[in-house]
Amino acid sequence: MDLFPLWLSLKVSVTATVLTLATGLPLARLLARRRFPGRDLAETVVVLPLVLPPTVLGYYLLVLISRQGAVGQVLDAAGIELAFTWRAAVLAAWVGSSALFIKAAQAGFESVDGRLEQAARTLGRSEWSVFWSITLPLASRAVMAGTVLAFCRALGDFGITLMVAGSIPGVTQTTPLAIYDLVQSNRMTEANTLSLIAVATVTLLLMGLGRLARLRF
Amino acid sequence: MTRAGLLALLLVFAPLRPADAQPVQPTLTVYAAADLQMAFGELKPLFEKVSGARLTLVMGSTGNLAKQIEHGAPADVFFAANESFVDDLKAVGAIISQTRALYAQGRIVLAFPKKSTSSLRELPDLLRPEVRRIAIANPAHAPYGRAAQEALERLGLWDRLRSKLVYGENIRHTLQFIQTGAVEGGIVALSVADVPEVTYVPIDPKLYTPLNQVAAVVRRSPHPELGAAFIQFVGGPEGRPIMKRYGFLLPGEF
Repeated sequence: MDLFPLWLSLKVSVTATVLTLATGLPLARLLARRRFPGRDLAETVVVLPLVLPPTVLGYYLLVLISRQGAVGQVLDAAGIELAFTWRAAVLAAWVGSSALFIKAAQAGFESVDGRLEQAARTLGRSEWSVFWSITLPLASRAVMAGTVLAFCRALGDFGITLMVAGSIPGVTQTTPLAIYDLVQSNRMTEANTLSLIAVATVTLLLMGLGRLARLRF
Repeated sequence: MTRAGLLALLLVFAPLRPADAQPVQPTLTVYAAADLQMAFGELKPLFEKVSGARLTLVMGSTGNLAKQIEHGAPADVFFAANESFVDDLKAVGAIISQTRALYAQGRIVLAFPKKSTSSLRELPDLLRPEVRRIAIANPAHAPYGRAAQEALERLGLWDRLRSKLVYGENIRHTLQFIQTGAVEGGIVALSVADVPEVTYVPIDPKLYTPLNQVAAVVRRSPHPELGAAFIQFVGGPEGRPIMKRYGFLLPGEF
């Protein structure tokens, strides 16, 4: 049995989760703490990927990143090929899962008492330091929950990946796509095995992570 | 975090094309309609042996695959379930026109779960009250669904059966409704109907417009001659018996 889809899925979803953290943390903090024009709009835009049907969202993304697309042309000029590569699967997983992280983290940041941050500031801490030593630790549960949600959503993405990365075996065929392909070919035993391995891996991973989290916080 | 984020972005989107990973064996990527899944699965090792090339099969709904090819998917050859999709790609210059070839004609059958108590013999049997749900592929975009609708309309059954219809996304999905016993009957492609859980009977081909299935080599393909060779292989002495066994009507037979 070909285990490539599992490795690819792990690689894609871990990379996508790192990307989600890197982009989602500042955005969640911004939405939680600042009032700026267009904030309500931004908050809506963040959750839109959850609203559209994944394959349709994937199609829009494909149009954008393909060689003729607005973003694709720029990437192509820079010698970067995105559509139909594993990096497109990362993009898909990131787009599909960011909203879950951002909403959870935002709620976490909003529940942190602003006066604690204020106190740290009066003691001469920089914004950067306030965030890392006060805000984030106090919101850690929500941030962790959001990370786990986003990771699982990234791991399970089907529709967006199918459109922007394709279901190319050995290249972009992630676990969900591989399972679907096996079911379509009526190879049910292999489909069941792969499903089972995927579920077991994630169960172990999350249980391990949960234990780690309790130790730390 | 922002710095780490930038680094992550760079790592992910940096061009990681290994210059030294020149494959000795050429790889032919075939984009093919879902109804070919079983037949092509069998053809794959044979073609690999004859050509020395590696064959990667990407199966999906003809519409989705066509869209991806239009937007630069790394396909070498495209086998569509219906000629209209290939002709649309021809219009935008995504395929090599001279390679367009009719490779088969699809047929539809009336299928029902083996476990079901009443066996169906002809389309009007679908009117029976014990047939509560009927699966067909979505006629809005799936060629076999369109053929199913046409046959039902021709017999004046369409409006009477409409409330019982369940649409599958593609023909394999439609078959799954029947395989699992979720519906009491349905209309699927002959090419996918041969599974242990399902019994099927032919539908008169005069009742629907022939499903002309067309293949073509994609313009972007780095080895168009290999792609053309695969199209020939499917219609050649090795391919024909397999395609026939999976219920495709081959050129020269219709």
